[in-house]
Amino acid sequence: MFSVASRFFRQRSLVEEAAQEVFLKAFTQLGSFEGRGSFEGWLTRIATNTCLNMVRGAKRRPESLASDLSDDEHDWLEQQSGSDGSDQRSVENSLVATDLADRLLAVLPPEDQQALLMIDGEDASIKEVAEATGWSESKVKVRAFRARRKLREAMEKLLSHKDGKPVSK
Amino acid sequence: MKDKHITEILDNTSIANFSAGELDEVRAHAESCVSCRGAYEAARLSGVVLRSRAQAAVEPSPFFQTRVMAALREQQAVENVPAMLRLWRSSKALVSSMAVTTAALAALSFLLPTPVTSVVDQTASVYSAESVIMGQSEEQMTYEQVLSTIYADEDEAK
Repeated sequence: MFSVASRFFRQRSLVEEAAQEVFLKAFTQLGSFEGRGSFEGWLTRIATNTCLNMVRGAKRRPESLASDLSDDEHDWLEQQSGSDGSDQRSVENSLVATDLADRLLAVLPPEDQQALLMIDGEDASIKEVAEATGWSESKVKVRAFRARRKLREAMEKLLSHKDGKPVSK
Repeated sequence: MKDKHITEILDNTSIANFSAGELDEVRAHAESCVSCRGAYEAARLSGVVLRSRAQAAVEPSPFFQTRVMAALREQQAVENVPAMLRLWRSSKALVSSMAVTTAALAALSFLLPTPVTSVVDQTASVYSAESVIMGQSEEQMTYEQVLSTIYADEDEAK
């Protein structure tokens, strides 16, 4: 449940708030579980829907994609652009990468974020995402395709900004 | 592959899931095509940041379970209160304000009584038997007013 909530939120307080709400909902709706699918799947779907509702209810951050690229992010992009993909995974590097991921994911609707994080981030199959969200497999494919394209375009913008413009401190 | 741009392929699947052959072809095209080179680099870096983001899962704090159990008990306590009592609690303010308004209206109706007067008596004196017989005021008078005016004048004559 925490891993589901962590896809949507990074602040511990928000993750815990979402997880608590999921537990309470699951407890009150326990009678509606018909035992057709797995209990874990049922719980994951409640968690996904609860988190999606929370994200929709919250105000979205303004999309400041490249305007306030930090020094660390700039350095990380510089370092990664030169590498062949076998990146050094220090804790610092992964924190910067996580921040960048959040910045990029903010350009996507929450449903697309969820699909892309599961498929490209966690190596989940289309079927697994469909089960977790209650969407059809074709819907998952379309959302993932669209999200991947948007994310790639956003990353291209960041890279061009890194190469062409000065970085804010 | 050499003449075909690779953006469609990049958007279709994560680079991490490419086979070795597919990856070689995509790389070869990216090296020769300027527009696809940027797209390939962006797609590769997007995959890296997404994997980092996916690993950043938050672990529950030690007090989480206690907090959930407390919230659960609170929810159960609310559910155990009888329905009528919950209804009364929620509508208490409305019922109180309605009662106060009714009492105020009742008090006002006792304090300010409206005077009751006979319409017939007031209007009857206005007309004379002569005007009634001549048909000058019939349109405005009721049948009872006509009768009472005529007989009153007859009594006076006697």
